[in-house]
Amino acid sequence: MASLPKRIIKETERLASDPVPGISAEPHEDNLRYFAVTIEGPEESPYENGVFELELYLPDDYPMEAPKVRFLTRIYHPNIDRLGRICLDVLKNNWSPALQIRTVLLSIQALLASPNPNDPLANDVAEEWIKNEELAISKAKEWTKLYAGKR
Amino acid sequence: MKVDIEEVHSVFAWTWHIPKDNKDGSLEADDDDDVCGICRASYNATCPSCKYPGDECSLVVGECNHNFHVHCIYRWLDTTTSKGLCPMCRQLFQLKRGLAINDSQLEKFKELQLRKRTNTAGEFADEDDEEAIERAMAQQDQAEVDDQGDVIMDQGLVVR
Repeated sequence: MASLPKRIIKETERLASDPVPGISAEPHEDNLRYFAVTIEGPEESPYENGVFELELYLPDDYPMEAPKVRFLTRIYHPNIDRLGRICLDVLKNNWSPALQIRTVLLSIQALLASPNPNDPLANDVAEEWIKNEELAISKAKEWTKLYAGKR
Repeated sequence: MKVDIEEVHSVFAWTWHIPKDNKDGSLEADDDDDVCGICRASYNATCPSCKYPGDECSLVVGECNHNFHVHCIYRWLDTTTSKGLCPMCRQLFQLKRGLAINDSQLEKFKELQLRKRTNTAGEFADEDDEEAIERAMAQQDQAEVDDQGDVIMDQGLVVR
């Protein structure tokens, strides 16, 4: 494999030296393009007090191509499906090489704070979210306790 | 005291002369401004695929005043995701007019534009690809004449 681009090294160093509050991202020892990520559920969201694990992979073409990010922890959210795939514009059509790992993870954290059932990925969740928001939120809280408890 | 000069080592330094129009009239750029927004290496260093800085790996200045290593922005604009937009401000990326620093890249960007243009033209008219290319070229020439040859980017030629 080609050597790691400087930009990735710089980003990795900065993630360690100046971490984003509530977010951690550490590269795997044997593959520096593969990161183990945790995101804390934002305060006053149904995901509060939860710690969600994700995986992030920087494709060979990064930063011309967006990082691939997926939730590993189960989460009840209209824009995240059963497989942990995330519906977020900056990960797809609106990617820009001016974005970075940290800004992408911040966007995901913001997505937890403001679910958008009108642009759903998990249709059943979105439907429930629109039909009975209160119930959906309580379910999201329940799942957070069940799957994303702090260890 | 008598001094004998035995040897002289000359040392020189260079930087790109990047025109800035800061609103407050200052010329200082902050640290963030001094790195390419795509590869995050200094403007005066090379893009990730080059070895020697300077003319071989030069900078371009966008109409929007965002600067990039020419290789970086070229690679980006060549992707379909880019839609021809500047990575920083998402405006259509065009070379700024009348800047010496952009001059050597005019041809290269013209080719990129033309390629994108003909790719799309091909989608609409598979059978007369050549004709489409000729048409695009004619249009490009027209754009150039209109602008007295100092601009290559023309909104109509950028394929979204």
